[in-house]
Amino acid sequence: MAEEEKQLEEFEQIDFLKDRHVRFFQRTLQVLPERYASLETTRLSIVFFALSGLDVLGSLDVIDKDLIIEWIYSQQVLPTDDKSNLGRCGFRGSSHIGIPYSTKGPGVLHPYDSGHVAMTYTGLCSLLILGDDLSRVNKQGCLAGLRALQLEDGSFYSVPEGSENDIRFIYCAACICFMLDDWSGMNIQKAIEYIRGSLSYDSGFGQGAGRESHGGWTYCAIASLCLMGRLEEALSPRELDRIRRWCIMRQQSGFHGRPNKPVDTCYSFWVGATLELLGVFRYTNFEKNRNFILSTQDRLVGGFAKWPDSHPDPLHAYFGLCGLSLIGEPNLRKVHPALNITQGAFQHLQQLHQTWRSSCGQQH
Amino acid sequence: MHGRVKVKTTAQQEEEKRKEREKKLKIYVAARDACFSKRKEGVCDDEALQLTQQLLSSNPDFATLWNYRREILMHLETVKDPDEMQKIYEAELSFLEACLKVNPKSYGSWHHRGWVSARLPRPDWARELSLCDRCLSLDDRNFHCWDYRRMVVKVSGVPVDQELEFSDRLIGSNFSNYSSWHYRSTLLPVLHPQTRQEPPHASSPRGPQSHRVCEEQLLKEYELVQNAFFTDPNDQSAWFYYRWLLGRAEREETISCVYVSREDERVAVAFSRPINARCVGLLLVLDGQPLRVEWRSVHPRFRHSPVLICDLPPGTINDVTNEHNLTVHWTGNHTHRDCALYTGRVESWCRDTATDQELFRSELSVEKTSVLQSELQSVKQLQELEPLNKWCLLTIILLMRALDPLGYEKETLAHFQTLKEVDSMRSEYYSDLCCKFMIENTILKMEYAEVRVFSITDRNLTSLCHLDQLLLVTHINLSSNRLQRLPPQFAMLQCLEVLEADNNFLENLEGVYHLPRLQEVSLKNNKISTLTDLQPLASCPELKRLDLRGNPVTQAASVESDLAELLPSVTDLLL
Repeated sequence: MAEEEKQLEEFEQIDFLKDRHVRFFQRTLQVLPERYASLETTRLSIVFFALSGLDVLGSLDVIDKDLIIEWIYSQQVLPTDDKSNLGRCGFRGSSHIGIPYSTKGPGVLHPYDSGHVAMTYTGLCSLLILGDDLSRVNKQGCLAGLRALQLEDGSFYSVPEGSENDIRFIYCAACICFMLDDWSGMNIQKAIEYIRGSLSYDSGFGQGAGRESHGGWTYCAIASLCLMGRLEEALSPRELDRIRRWCIMRQQSGFHGRPNKPVDTCYSFWVGATLELLGVFRYTNFEKNRNFILSTQDRLVGGFAKWPDSHPDPLHAYFGLCGLSLIGEPNLRKVHPALNITQGAFQHLQQLHQTWRSSCGQQH
Repeated sequence: MHGRVKVKTTAQQEEEKRKEREKKLKIYVAARDACFSKRKEGVCDDEALQLTQQLLSSNPDFATLWNYRREILMHLETVKDPDEMQKIYEAELSFLEACLKVNPKSYGSWHHRGWVSARLPRPDWARELSLCDRCLSLDDRNFHCWDYRRMVVKVSGVPVDQELEFSDRLIGSNFSNYSSWHYRSTLLPVLHPQTRQEPPHASSPRGPQSHRVCEEQLLKEYELVQNAFFTDPNDQSAWFYYRWLLGRAEREETISCVYVSREDERVAVAFSRPINARCVGLLLVLDGQPLRVEWRSVHPRFRHSPVLICDLPPGTINDVTNEHNLTVHWTGNHTHRDCALYTGRVESWCRDTATDQELFRSELSVEKTSVLQSELQSVKQLQELEPLNKWCLLTIILLMRALDPLGYEKETLAHFQTLKEVDSMRSEYYSDLCCKFMIENTILKMEYAEVRVFSITDRNLTSLCHLDQLLLVTHINLSSNRLQRLPPQFAMLQCLEVLEADNNFLENLEGVYHLPRLQEVSLKNNKISTLTDLQPLASCPELKRLDLRGNPVTQAASVESDLAELLPSVTDLLL
């Protein structure tokens, strides 16, 4: 009897608990525990994790899409009547500054209100996932706000007031330009130079020049170049082979982000998607990857944690799902490896692009 | 969202925690609102500093507050004297230390500290370095701290050799410190640069790979690294560093081959890297006169290609009694290649062979063969002690390919077998790598034999590579492998006359596209199932013999007549 029970337990251990994850993301969208307070300024990105997670699970029907669309638009920093704040436009992370709720323009001038590049990026993705047609996005504002963030060395700040600058925000910028189908938002050549300058001696990418290779920054580098359509132009075949090698060596069971670090669920996506973009994900071991991701699954509360026996959180829950989707887990939708939204949402974007282009005639 | 381990608590403990949280929340909200109203009114005073300090202590990732704080400090600079500011900024540094104790990975805190350090009237860089030391002793992989240290070193002018000693100490106490090895890789080229002339072009932006280290220092480093991987062969830090040491700079960009066909009046050019036909600056000079031509890739789905072709105006070179001199200039890279087409010759080429280019020397340095030999011996010694260690095997394979790819072929294949067993998680990757090396060796053998026949059969090949090296090949045999497609890149085989690829899993032939000389194709026992699969062959005007036996397509009812229509030039058809 005990033997059977043990075997049953083992089977359950590797069982993927879809419904729990759906409820996990539903709760994420309703209320967050106190320990997330420090993430209030980036709340929109957490919304993105939940929405995209539900999309990957094929369960967007459990939420009120229109309500969330309105909320997202209320985070848009719109141009004022005289357009004096164009360089500050984009999307906020949340209402923490205290700007009065509004989904319509014109913008209200407030000296300390501005978009945040990662929130503009996740905001646009979230709208696409919810099926919105982006018609209320002020593209001129978003692109001007983006241009204002790029530095001479090609990297980006996250906010116009200044912040740290590195390759993460280049990725956000590339996604924004890609989604808005308008690369005037950034100087591509300079961004490519920064990316190349971030290639480390061991052929991983650091956050910037001279910095340590890391799975997350490697994803930002490769995914950005793919979105720009410049992967083979920016990196030689040898460099690409060396990058493939560095990435493939990140698999231990699941993946870690740096040598001699413990494996962490989210790298199953960051490194996995990079390998997919480089055409060699099929050479990784799917079974070990899957087993690790599922070992971080929270069987009670749903979601995934970065490590086994740890608390789940929306980021790892989302990337755990993406990692499983990459290896073809049944009942999970496919994720576009560079833009990090489902293929369904990506196709919706492509249709929008077609509509925009045909109505603009020769503009593209 | 850093990992929080699950801990069980009693109901009472939970209730106490909840009450405490509520209290904190009330204070937080009050402080935040007070803060913003002050900022809105443009108030920059001590009280504002107090308020922001309260808030940032509990939430160091509130970027707007750090910005406000910087505004306050900058304002104070205008009204206070340097001594007062020194005190204020030192208090700021203490505050930041407290923040970093709570969260040593907060972008906001580190960024602000960097800002403060730069503005201190009398900065204490020794103190900053000491902070880094303490932080790294707690977590030697904290990249925020490493980045901060780099900044401090740069701004304060700490001599590079001092930092090198610092990395010596860290590595000496713990070989397994990847971040230290990384740091070392950035210091060495600065301290001991290799003097090599810069290539004349500036078109491709250079990455850090280009910063090489002088040989004398390299030898010392080899010793250090060997100590490391002999001590702990399973730690990858030293192995990655070692590979970098052994590595070599990127080759200069060149035109590797110019091929001219008199009959087709076509020029094919092979480059050392893929380029985009539309962006490249190429000038064709024929008999001293520049000639306007349209360069294109060999296949529309293959835009970034190492081989480009162009057609010469009809009648330019087709008279076999004439001699012609052709030069292709790659203007961006200040390089060119000549090719002479002699009387009576129907084709001509000029190239560097793969051997000349040292193309397949596995990217390892060939500065001194003796050095590489000695490195190989060392690693082989270790491999005998640690037969299951994948890093040894990989490094041995690498060194063998650098020294003598053909001479070590058998041993290399044997090591690959072991590698696939020892690191079975990556066995498919190693198989792919092994295939690549076998293709490279076949190319080398072909060149040594000075023939234009490329044959690699019964090798479990699942994909092809280096097709740009096969521009001159007339006969290719890929039979008895596991290929599923001949991709667009295959169209680089512009001289191909005979294609044999029996006993594969081919279902896609899109690369058999506009091959002007292709006469004979054998595809027995593959997976070609529809007429559409064979469509590309229709673009090959000289195709005469086609063997499709053993393919599903032969079962179709009207296959013979369909093929006669699709491929009218074919006279010998075997179904």
